[in-house]
Amino acid sequence: MIRELSLTDVEYLLLAMRWTIALTALALAGGGTIGLIVAACGASGRMLPRYLARGYVGLVQGIPLLVWLFLFYFGLSIFGYNLPPWVAATLGFSVYAGAFLGEIWRGALLSIPKTQWEAGRSIGLTFIEQLRHVIIPQAIRVAIPPTVGFTVQLVKNTSLAAVIGFVELTREGQLTTAATYQPFAVYLIVAALYFCVCYSLSRYAGALERSRRVAR
Amino acid sequence: MSLVELKRVTKRFGANVVLREVDLRVEKGEIIAIIGRSGSGKSTLLRCINGLEPVQGGEVWCDGVAVHDPKSDLRALRARVGIVFQSFNLFPHLTVARNVMLGPTIVKGMAADDAEKLAHEALRRVGLEEKIGAWADELSGGQQQRVAIARALAMSPTIMLFDEITSALDPELVGEVLLVLEAMARDGMTMLLVTHEMNFARRVANRVVFMHQGKVWEEGPAKEFFAAPRTEELRSFLSSVLH
Repeated sequence: MIRELSLTDVEYLLLAMRWTIALTALALAGGGTIGLIVAACGASGRMLPRYLARGYVGLVQGIPLLVWLFLFYFGLSIFGYNLPPWVAATLGFSVYAGAFLGEIWRGALLSIPKTQWEAGRSIGLTFIEQLRHVIIPQAIRVAIPPTVGFTVQLVKNTSLAAVIGFVELTREGQLTTAATYQPFAVYLIVAALYFCVCYSLSRYAGALERSRRVAR
Repeated sequence: MSLVELKRVTKRFGANVVLREVDLRVEKGEIIAIIGRSGSGKSTLLRCINGLEPVQGGEVWCDGVAVHDPKSDLRALRARVGIVFQSFNLFPHLTVARNVMLGPTIVKGMAADDAEKLAHEALRRVGLEEKIGAWADELSGGQQQRVAIARALAMSPTIMLFDEITSALDPELVGEVLLVLEAMARDGMTMLLVTHEMNFARRVANRVVFMHQGKVWEEGPAKEFFAAPRTEELRSFLSSVLH
């Protein structure tokens, strides 16, 4: 039965927004962990870790995000792992974010001039101390703007989780549309909600970019 | 044993031989200027002394440590060998104070307020105590280089290495850095300087070393060295730089 679009629907959309944000946060946590390992391996002087990191990034970036989601949701169920949609989505997005964050952070580490490592080494710092006190504090400043930029992409891409039945903002929009048959109004609200989150993140990234102090 | 001793040191970058069986001794309290054309191996020689560049042959001894031996504790050695680079290499994410304090607090485990006192002292020696709260990029090149010297001094080094430290500076800023070096020389610091400042070398150095094609081509006391070069290569080098 078709009903009117009401304030309750808007409220439900807002509540669904929480799941969009939650999925983004989970993907950042999982992807951040993978990304740290990928970045460390990718920036390493040793061949094997570098090849492994490059292989991982190539593999993930060469396969559509949607296919990763299908693989974790439908693919694993063939082997008897019936993952709830939110788990499958978290896994898929973590794998995906891990590759991109790994690349961003590897670039940030490599962007710090070799002379900074050398200056640290020259006052007697160990490798780990050089990383901790000299390289990472500078690399973070380089990495924050593109990391926030990627997070904006991530927020938008979580809408793909709708297709495996994870009820986030887009899926909630579909459900509301089905009930009210007012796609234009509903998706306008959905769009506005995405925009509010993404635009503030972009502004934040811009502000960070203007306030960094690193070796050139 | 000398403070620094290089025995038949050979250094290659791939097929490119940069140092060919170099011998050099530095005694405590000596001030040695290393001069030569670019590509003659003088900077590499300096960087081999604290192990920033590994050597492929020969022995490098510095303050009793076998630098050529991969098993040696270079971290402990580097804490007592100060080096200052052409491009300053200050830490841009730290204030001047924290630049100077980093080594003492992390490497020597010094308490923060002791390290801060030390930073004041080191910066006073280079005449920049009032810049202690500044960021590196707020300083002129000459000031940045003096902070880099203070950073090295804060580790109480037994020897200081200077790698063309005035080459990246505007001419009017060279003097302030050389004045700091002269003050350190008067305090009895052992110093090795790779430099293009011939007048400075003549005035301050005890001994001058001329590098050519990866070898110590000629060396001698500063006065005679410039007045009466023995080799044709040194003569031609001096005539090309002394005008």
